[in-house]
Amino acid sequence: MKKRIRAVITKEFFHILRDPRSLFIVLVLPVLMMFIFGYSLSFDIDRIQTVVIDYSQSELSRSLIDRFASDPYVLTAVYPGQLKAVNPFETAEDMLRRRSIKQYVVIPINFASGYHKKIKQAITAVIDGSDSNIANIIHQYNERLLMDFISERKNVKDFLSIDTKTYFNPENKSSFFIVPGLAAVIMMMISALLTSLSVSREKESGSIDLLFISPLGSREIILGKTIPYIFVALLEGAFIILFAKFWFDIPFRGNFLILLVFALLYVITGLSFGITISTLASSQKVAMIATLLATLLPSILLSGFIFPLDSLPPVLRGFSYVVPATYFLLIIRGVILKGSGLQHFIREGLVLLAFSFIFLNIASLKFAQKRKNRH
Amino acid sequence: MKKVHPEAGIACDTMNEITVSVENLTRRFGRFTAVDSISFSMNPGEILGFLGPNGAGKTTTIKMMTGLLRITSGDVFIKGMDVKKKLKRVKRFTGYMSQKFSLYPLLTGFENIEFFGGVSGLKRREIKEKMNEIRDLVPESYLYRKVKNLPPGIKQQVALFSCLLPDPEIIFLDEPTSGVDPVNRRRFWMQINELKKNHKSILVSTHNLDEAEFADRILIIHKGIIVAEGAPSELKAQGNFDSIEELFKKVVSDEKAH
Repeated sequence: MKKRIRAVITKEFFHILRDPRSLFIVLVLPVLMMFIFGYSLSFDIDRIQTVVIDYSQSELSRSLIDRFASDPYVLTAVYPGQLKAVNPFETAEDMLRRRSIKQYVVIPINFASGYHKKIKQAITAVIDGSDSNIANIIHQYNERLLMDFISERKNVKDFLSIDTKTYFNPENKSSFFIVPGLAAVIMMMISALLTSLSVSREKESGSIDLLFISPLGSREIILGKTIPYIFVALLEGAFIILFAKFWFDIPFRGNFLILLVFALLYVITGLSFGITISTLASSQKVAMIATLLATLLPSILLSGFIFPLDSLPPVLRGFSYVVPATYFLLIIRGVILKGSGLQHFIREGLVLLAFSFIFLNIASLKFAQKRKNRH
Repeated sequence: MKKVHPEAGIACDTMNEITVSVENLTRRFGRFTAVDSISFSMNPGEILGFLGPNGAGKTTTIKMMTGLLRITSGDVFIKGMDVKKKLKRVKRFTGYMSQKFSLYPLLTGFENIEFFGGVSGLKRREIKEKMNEIRDLVPESYLYRKVKNLPPGIKQQVALFSCLLPDPEIIFLDEPTSGVDPVNRRRFWMQINELKKNHKSILVSTHNLDEAEFADRILIIHKGIIVAEGAPSELKAQGNFDSIEELFKKVVSDEKAH
């Protein structure tokens, strides 16, 4: 049995190396996806265009305005509140509507005097709320800015606050949260995609007859076809994690090797899932589309990647338990962001193993069935 | 098992040692009957030529005999074992080659041999030996090329060689010579004759009628029915035909008249 599986493994390796389609998936797609999603899903903003309406026009207000001129803020204009010729509010709101600025900030008239008299003061920030995530982040930046401003001055702690006007509740998200999750989604998709084509490709070319007619058992064929991709997928996983770390500057608090061990289990799950689809699909096209749908949608929507699991309705919540990404997300976020160790994720690791076991068995069974009932 | 002397010829000594027997084999695709209750047998040391126009049911028959296609009704027994029930055991005794898909086109000749050798359970050392053997048949430089870039004659050589790796007793060759030039075709038939001397049972389907003369016995299948069976010389004598081609034209057009 070992000898024969080895023959299949060797052959599959050659096929991986010589099939441009597989190579493309392996090399180009993950980078492309990391870029596209990594940036489009990035909740960090590097330019917050701001207009300040300054009623106070004091030394104090000017030093606050200076802060709005520094990174990541882009101070677009400062309007003195007293100027009667232009209505600064109207201008600012119009800019907000045209999306030329992301927020405008109003400094009240008695900002300086109140500060000196230690009377409670609030500046107002009106933020473009069309994207709740962006609005939320701007709000957080503003808070930080004000904190910094306060910390440099004495005795004003309770007297200065920021009054934010947006339509959405603040959520707690950042790129640190997104990118590891993104890695989980991409790893699942790529590994499933790799194997999903491997049986259907032979079905399409007709060479599957060679396997059918061989003395190989169905389990041997399925394992032989899956194993070589483990190396490819693991390499890919390591690459994606390193890409996240170095390109997106994700702080890596845990152990890379520990994460790799779990990544290994996770990609095996993905590969097993892919080969299962491959045995069911009639053509490569069908296999590819089915794999993309079946991996991306649940991995993105039902794994806790974007929507917190707690906020899912009970039915979908239940469904999230059968999405492998749900478990790996816990692991990858835990290891990367919290520095969790091997012992924290034994349950998740076992679940991933169980998934692989189940998928591989379904695939072998389906393959044997196909072999028996040829048309 | 009864030994047959290599020079003893074909039929008489071996008739009672049937290796393959096909009984009322039928295959329907929906309402279309591709193979209609055909029966025949194969004997050791015999080349059975399987002739018929395209779409006559040749490939369908061979696929059912090798377990690649489900049998609608009827039976195939290989060395007494029912193909429907004992497919795994049967595979140990059979080899199959089709001109279309017998090798992986993206792998080189050597890699294909390594794969098929490994799959048939040969040891490393045995595979190495086989790789040396094929160097005598095919110029080595070809064997390092991807199969898809090989000329048909070479491809056929490598395919036949891989098919014979596990040394099967019963060999099914589905249109092995299609697209192959006359020189290589000749060489191919010489090889088949060697196999015959080693008491293999060989079924060769073809639509090259001139090749029928190489067979010890021929079956002509048309529209899923066997319309003629016998040794080429017998068949020619019976109907007073000069060639198998003439006979073929006759039986095929006869069928059409029905």
